[in-house]
Amino acid sequence: MTLHTAIVKAEVDNISLEKAKKFIISEKNGAETIFVGRVRNENSGKKVIAVTYDAHDQAALKSFQSICNDAKIKFDKRSSIFLEHAKGYIPVGEISILIAVSSGHRDEAFKICRYILEEIKHKAPIWKKEHYTEGNEQWLPGHSLRPKEEIK
Amino acid sequence: MEIYLKLYGSSKMLNDKEILSIELPNNSNIEKLRIALDKMISKKYLKNNLENLSKTAAFFSEADEVVDDNYKLKNKELISIIPPIGGG
Repeated sequence: MTLHTAIVKAEVDNISLEKAKKFIISEKNGAETIFVGRVRNENSGKKVIAVTYDAHDQAALKSFQSICNDAKIKFDKRSSIFLEHAKGYIPVGEISILIAVSSGHRDEAFKICRYILEEIKHKAPIWKKEHYTEGNEQWLPGHSLRPKEEIK
Repeated sequence: MEIYLKLYGSSKMLNDKEILSIELPNNSNIEKLRIALDKMISKKYLKNNLENLSKTAAFFSEADEVVDDNYKLKNKELISIIPPIGGG
């Protein structure tokens, strides 16, 4: 198995770097890249204490699998990919997304990791709500999945 | 007719529960649903930065596929509203 994707519910489990490293290791692949996204303590001048991630689980998983398979076809069919995204309340400093890739060579490993991250931001039905130190909260704007020409 | 709208992201501000029941004229499509949502938002939720939601949201059928504005809704159908996304 060379592909693992999951939505990890914060109240059930954590995203594990160790699990990702174990999954992608392969004697065929000489390069590994790991991207770890964590909740930052500031956004647009506001002090953030946590982010709540919401997701349409089935559609998000479907998009993860499609994006990862596209990445394999585009860059390296023999690559191994581990992708997990958090759902629920994630405090500052905790992992929100982890992408780990092993590939034959470094160039492909970097490209696959970057490609997956950018595609997720534009295709996976996931949303984030920031919680601020003042006690207020806000859903962040995002990328519409409705075709641009239909938005009047 | 009545449809059930499963709420995600910012659309959760429309209701305390995850599913919002909406009354529509018989034989409505997604376009009619957008109009109904727009009315609902302009009456009650303008303060919550939801003013563009009815235009920018996509909708998923129960098969988790995007449906366009001509998609004919069925009575009691469950539709997901997909506000603009932004994971990662």
